Amino acid sequence: MAHVVLKDLVKTYGGFKAVNDVSLTVNDGEFVALVGPSGCGKTTTLNLVAGLVPITSGDIVIGDRVVNDLDPKDRDIAMVFQNYALYPQKSVYKNLAFPLQMRKLPRDEIDKKVKEAARVLDMTHLLERKPRELSGGQQQRVALGRALVRDPAVFLMDEPLSNLDAKLRVQMRSELKRFHQDLKATIIYVTHDQLEAVTMADRMAVMNGGYLQQYDSPAQVFAHPVNMFVASFIGSPAMSLIPLEASAANGDTVLTSAEGWSLKLSRLNARKVQRATTKKVVLGARHSTIKLHKSEVSSAIPAKAFTVEPTGDVTFVQAFLSGAIVNISVSPNIAVAPDEQIWLEFDQERMHLFDGETEMALKAD
Amino acid sequence: MAPPVRSDEQGHATVTIVTGKAEARRRLQPGRSGTLRKIWEHRADYAYVLPAIAVMLMVIAYPIYYTIELSFFKTPPGLQLRDKTFIGFDNYTAILTSQVFWKVTWNTLIWTLGSTFISFVLGFATALALHRDFIGRGVLRAILIIPWVISAVAASYIWKWIYHSDFGIIGAVLVGLGLADRPPNFIDNVSTVLPSLIVVNIWREFPFAMIMMMAGLQTVPDQLLRAAKVDGASAWQRFWHVTFPHLRNVSVVTMLLLAVANFNSFIIPWIMTGGGPSNASHIWITHIYELAFGRQRWGVASAYSVLLFLILMTLGYFYVRALSGNERNEGSA
Repeated sequence: MAHVVLKDLVKTYGGFKAVNDVSLTVNDGEFVALVGPSGCGKTTTLNLVAGLVPITSGDIVIGDRVVNDLDPKDRDIAMVFQNYALYPQKSVYKNLAFPLQMRKLPRDEIDKKVKEAARVLDMTHLLERKPRELSGGQQQRVALGRALVRDPAVFLMDEPLSNLDAKLRVQMRSELKRFHQDLKATIIYVTHDQLEAVTMADRMAVMNGGYLQQYDSPAQVFAHPVNMFVASFIGSPAMSLIPLEASAANGDTVLTSAEGWSLKLSRLNARKVQRATTKKVVLGARHSTIKLHKSEVSSAIPAKAFTVEPTGDVTFVQAFLSGAIVNISVSPNIAVAPDEQIWLEFDQERMHLFDGETEMALKAD
Repeated sequence: MAPPVRSDEQGHATVTIVTGKAEARRRLQPGRSGTLRKIWEHRADYAYVLPAIAVMLMVIAYPIYYTIELSFFKTPPGLQLRDKTFIGFDNYTAILTSQVFWKVTWNTLIWTLGSTFISFVLGFATALALHRDFIGRGVLRAILIIPWVISAVAASYIWKWIYHSDFGIIGAVLVGLGLADRPPNFIDNVSTVLPSLIVVNIWREFPFAMIMMMAGLQTVPDQLLRAAKVDGASAWQRFWHVTFPHLRNVSVVTMLLLAVANFNSFIIPWIMTGGGPSNASHIWITHIYELAFGRQRWGVASAYSVLLFLILMTLGYFYVRALSGNERNEGSA
């Protein structure tokens, strides 16, 4: 196993910058998820690390070697692809043996390694089958096995679970996590599904528009998103972002809505708002930090329920505030009807404040 | 769940009474003759294809039958066909024991296998070359398709001139370069005529193989090639382990189509040489044509045709099997 360093990585296609100055370090044995919407440059970044796409500028270090100009086969990496990319004409055994054959290992050693990998992934009974005779989950496991036999320095995974159905995906998610824990493998994992990133990764790199937005542990990213993009991308349902205007009233700082209501801020939050470049401030709140009242409460803001979605454990209520959709989760035994008048109370300690111009999170210090 | 089903059946019953007595009677006897019922239910569909089937019977089935019938008769030239006399398998034994038959069969084999194999290899190689992205690829592709779209008759005449021993360009170039004292005689020579015609045929049909293989190449999954790259396969190994197995079926289909077309070739040998000199470039089709329409030996020509038909049916069987077996064969290495 080895660590991976990306330094000022740039990839341009013609005039289009697919990857912009991405720098990050993946520690030895760490599981890092590259996450972002489609077209954010995460897969391109992975292909750059793999050597499948030549870099425009920057450096890639795997272990202690700069691998910029090395072929994929010389980078000591293994890759798991979205569509598994199993060789359809070869049996499972031959699929697993292929990377070893290409490295001209002796036959008995190949046999030993293939059987060991099959044992680890619990698919010894599948070795003689052809890929098309396997279920999606089994194919996924073979793809993993083909990466595993190589004993590579780094595993690169490109949306490996996105072709599976929802139930299997959850199951394979925990299998992959277990796989990582048992092998202490260095894994770079690309996904557009923030839930996969949050649940599996030690650290996640949130990307957008070719830029690395935030690189931190899932808990940190969730609790302290650096900007509005990260805030809205991580977490489901998405964080509600309400555009407001800051002003001072009687020595307090308040956020005023064009709708007429205003929200008094705590002292800490007021300090944050003072750092905003303009008066425009965006209030961010996750569904669980907003309290829904069915009768008027001081400091709560009046709103109208728009839709009500019961999911069993919780019921999600959507409302509009200042033109923005606000998600609120309530206990299922609180009955809310669409178009019902409700009052929303924001948790001052857990609310997020963003600069309305720069979209960056506002900090108190 | 039982009650709703029952009410549904009752609903059907009411409907059948409305639609007709026969229908109602049939409904009362469930499970009687599934096939007949299916045919009856699709009676309109059968009615629609009936005219097409009738035409097919007239223009295909009847000629086949008549050819088979004629192959058992002696039809002296100059006589009317109704004067034919039944001679059993005599036409067949005459064919199989004649020297010309074996000569022509041998020619046909060389012609078919040579043209098919070389056209395929050349077409595949061109397809691989054109699969890469380079400037002028589109133009090159268009130019390479020209031989295939050009009329075979025109091509034959053009090549006849190219090969011409007095005015041909090849001869002129060879003499000009000092490689030959005088222009070689390509098509008036027993030993060079067949290879010369095969060259023309390959020139004409390799673009077909090229197009087929180019289409096939586009279906090779990029991810598989990338996976092989990461697995450490060289360009040649990627071709051998990923591309080639993926193209197996399209290769088989292409070669079969070429083989059938070559087996049935007529225009190029007929126009360029008419089968000569001394049968050296006769293949089955030209020979049959000459027997039937040149020497009016309808019986023998029919017997030849029946044999050809049997051979082509065998080829056709493998073609259909290759087409329908695509999924089944995909996995076998």
